[in-house]
Amino acid sequence: MLAAIAAATPTPAGVPGAGIFTSPLILSLTIWVPVVVAIVMNTVPNPRGRYDTLMKQIAFFTNLGIFFVLFIAYHLFETFLPTLQYEEKLPWLPSIGVTYHLGVDGPGMTMMMLSCLIGIVSVLASWGVRERVRSYFTLLLLTQATVNGAIASHDMFVLLLFWGAATIPVALLILGWGGPGREAAAWRLVGYWSIGTAALLVATMTVYGASGGTSFDMDVVLKAALTPRVQLAAGLALMVAAATRLPLFPFHGWVRDVYSEAPLGVSVVIAGTASRLGGYLLLRGLVAADADASRLLSPLLAALAAVTIIYAAVVALRSVDLRWAAAHLAMVPGGITVLGLAALTPLSIAGSVLSMFTGGLVAALIVAAAWVVTDRAQTRSLSVLSGLAPRMPILTWLLVLGALGLLGVPLLASFPAETMIFFGSFKTQPIGSFAVAAGLVLTAIALAVVAHRVLFGQPNHDAPAVSDASLGETWYLGLLAGGLLWVGLFPSGPKLPGTDLPLFDPGLVNVMSAGITDIASPYVQPAPTAAQ
Amino acid sequence: MRNFVLVPEVMVVAGALALLVAGRTRGRSRWWFPGAAAGLALAALVVELWVGATLATFFGGALVQDRFALFAKAAVLLAAALAIAVTDWTEENAPAVGMAMILLGAFGVMVIASAGDFVGLWAGLEVAAAAGVVLVSLRRSDLALRLLVAGGVASGLLLIGLAFIYATTGAADLQAVRHAAATTGATLPFGIPVLLLLGGLAVRAGLPPLQFVRVPIGLGASPLGAGIVIGLVAAAALTVAVKVTALLSPVPAAFSPYLMVAAAVAMVVGGAAALATRSPRARLAYLAAGQVGWIAAGLATHYRSGLGASVFLLGAFAIAATAGPAVMAGADIGEFALAGMGLLRPARAAAIALVFLSLAGAPPLAGFFGEFAVAASLAQSGAMWLLALGVLGAVMSVGAAIGTLRAIYLQNPPDESRRVAGARLPVLTRLSTYGAIALCVAIAGYGIFANPIVSLADQASEALLR
Repeated sequence: MLAAIAAATPTPAGVPGAGIFTSPLILSLTIWVPVVVAIVMNTVPNPRGRYDTLMKQIAFFTNLGIFFVLFIAYHLFETFLPTLQYEEKLPWLPSIGVTYHLGVDGPGMTMMMLSCLIGIVSVLASWGVRERVRSYFTLLLLTQATVNGAIASHDMFVLLLFWGAATIPVALLILGWGGPGREAAAWRLVGYWSIGTAALLVATMTVYGASGGTSFDMDVVLKAALTPRVQLAAGLALMVAAATRLPLFPFHGWVRDVYSEAPLGVSVVIAGTASRLGGYLLLRGLVAADADASRLLSPLLAALAAVTIIYAAVVALRSVDLRWAAAHLAMVPGGITVLGLAALTPLSIAGSVLSMFTGGLVAALIVAAAWVVTDRAQTRSLSVLSGLAPRMPILTWLLVLGALGLLGVPLLASFPAETMIFFGSFKTQPIGSFAVAAGLVLTAIALAVVAHRVLFGQPNHDAPAVSDASLGETWYLGLLAGGLLWVGLFPSGPKLPGTDLPLFDPGLVNVMSAGITDIASPYVQPAPTAAQ
Repeated sequence: MRNFVLVPEVMVVAGALALLVAGRTRGRSRWWFPGAAAGLALAALVVELWVGATLATFFGGALVQDRFALFAKAAVLLAAALAIAVTDWTEENAPAVGMAMILLGAFGVMVIASAGDFVGLWAGLEVAAAAGVVLVSLRRSDLALRLLVAGGVASGLLLIGLAFIYATTGAADLQAVRHAAATTGATLPFGIPVLLLLGGLAVRAGLPPLQFVRVPIGLGASPLGAGIVIGLVAAAALTVAVKVTALLSPVPAAFSPYLMVAAAVAMVVGGAAALATRSPRARLAYLAAGQVGWIAAGLATHYRSGLGASVFLLGAFAIAATAGPAVMAGADIGEFALAGMGLLRPARAAAIALVFLSLAGAPPLAGFFGEFAVAASLAQSGAMWLLALGVLGAVMSVGAAIGTLRAIYLQNPPDESRRVAGARLPVLTRLSTYGAIALCVAIAGYGIFANPIVSLADQASEALLR
């Protein structure tokens, strides 16, 4: 009977909605839905802030919806395919070779998941915004859209468009809702990020011109046979672009002001995803594209990574302001990511991809937790903040979890990431790896000193009254910490007990691995033969 | 269809004359004038798009209808329609004359776009410039006189240049000059008049550091007057520049180096000046000057791709720079006039924001796409130093635009008492609101749906180089 049924219906009837998650528009949805919602929000009348709460809810559910759709796409991601998935390709400006080309491989999907998670957290972290709510959430959604666009783009023009566009809403958010030093913070950010955009444009045009000037598609531009000189020039420009975002020393001038003066939700987006784009750019534009330039620049990259981490740790150690300390500590994950990319081994590159995800969560957690602590304690001064642990148990846990995540302790997602990076790096970049490890020791000392002083020292009875995190704050900080724990505990996803069948999560490590083999293939050293 | 090709020109001139006559009549209600004038410009645009694809020549080759003419006419008609629609007519001293002048200015650009010889180029430019002088004189006769004198200098340089080229090549017809230039080569007798010609155009277009006339006039004139001076007259000069560089393309050595230097100075000085100033209208003028530099950079490449990119960017520039001052209304008195505009006049505020961002070259708007196309042609031609300077200028321009956006969206509106003293809010009319929305759609759509426009610009450059 079953055979008869099968013979009678050789092709199953179409089910409405079936195949929507394999739709070629899924990446466009993650970019353009926030833009459309932002435009609609900004045009709907909101007399005297009557619908402010509704605006917040719309922003939240937009992000939640995108996360839901993307999670299913993540679940359906073909982990054995090294090629781009969910690809979209349309001619945009054919006369100069621009295509609207989107697509994600393993690292791209990992970054998209991070971006959507951070998007939700940033909206929750912005729930306390009271002034010009509509404008705030409009800009926040636009920021989210630009970050998603930069991750998904597979055309240098599209990448540049979203990369550059991110500066404007972020700067306006800081100018409009930042702290007392917002002017300096916003203009520093504009300055540094604009330098990065300019460097990316120069790199793009260099490879475009050298590859014949026919296409901006990454498949053409980044795979063209270029002379070592052009590769080096483009690689240097890409390094500058990435260094302004991650940030790396000496392009870190915006970090202190922005993370301490920007509104919390904006700090979360910047630390969580916008700055991770720097590492992603290095992976896409340098490591995956220009093997010769990568080999040539790898010592410089490793040196920058080491200097960044050591500098960040020393400055954090000497800081007199908790937010400043957290801002500098948030630079550390970027340095670790760059070390993995500089090492140019399959293991270290895989570790770098994972560290972009974990680094985003850790940096956002550190910055956000410090922000909430200073807000609840009514002071930022490390000379006043002392012995808060008994009065802030939840925030103490979260801050400590962030600190442990930064150091890469077992059970947290940063542990496998840092392990892979260091195991993959010591052979090819021994000095850089040693220096970064030394920097991490300094970071540990800085964290211990700050945590001891703020959380576990003698309570300061002259300090203003403090209170612990509210339920909302616990939720969004908990989401960041939960993400770290989840990937740390189940890097390959939870399995049905007694089987290899994955439950709802196919495992971040499995998903991110798709495509890394291809990226790392130029750097695989031939295995020694038996005769050798 | 050939007989209808000049209908848009006829419509525009007839409309301008009718407005001038109607403006002299007494006791009639004139509230419908702006809507009718904008509608007329739009109707002319529709006719142009409908019949403009027909290739034709008129008056023995004096007027040529090709793809470039179609592109330039369509862009300027759209710019004129939008500028009329978004203008706050209570700010204008003589609304009917203002509408007539912007239509005449557009007519001047249309004549240039179709010109087949030097006479057409010169006459069109003078018509557009004269419209600007008339409109400025309605509010400030001293500034109009200054504009007239500067225009006279520009015109003199232009005429001497054209006359010398005629003397060298023995022809005034553009095609004949092109052929003659190819055989003559980049000789000194040919290079000097070209330099004079480009100098005249640079003064007309307000290319930094020659913006010393345009910016003060832009500040003192009425909003629409500023729009004509900053946008339409500059677009007219650039249209001439596009045609001149196309006909000189066989001898790039005669113009390319000068144009590259001028473009570099314009891009950097425009951006830096925009960053330094606080007055929104002056900032807009400097941003426009920076974008003029980008257009010149594209022309300097003397490649078809560069020419096409400049033509594409010229369209974006014409729309934003002409309608920009008009949509800002009384913002010449200072940044605080725009404070809180996002709250009080959201559609107008969005249009101002997009105008600034587009002129600054911020993604994903019309100006960004145009500047990127020029950047691509610079990379193809190997002029990386010019590209680097352009990027520097663009970075400063974007910083300046963010400063204005902050005033619009992040500052609270000033007290009503203070507002009455100087910063009166633009009058809210249905036409101005729809016009502002249309301006937003035009600026965003020009970039996002750039493919057909780029194709037309590419065909335009091909027509010019044929």
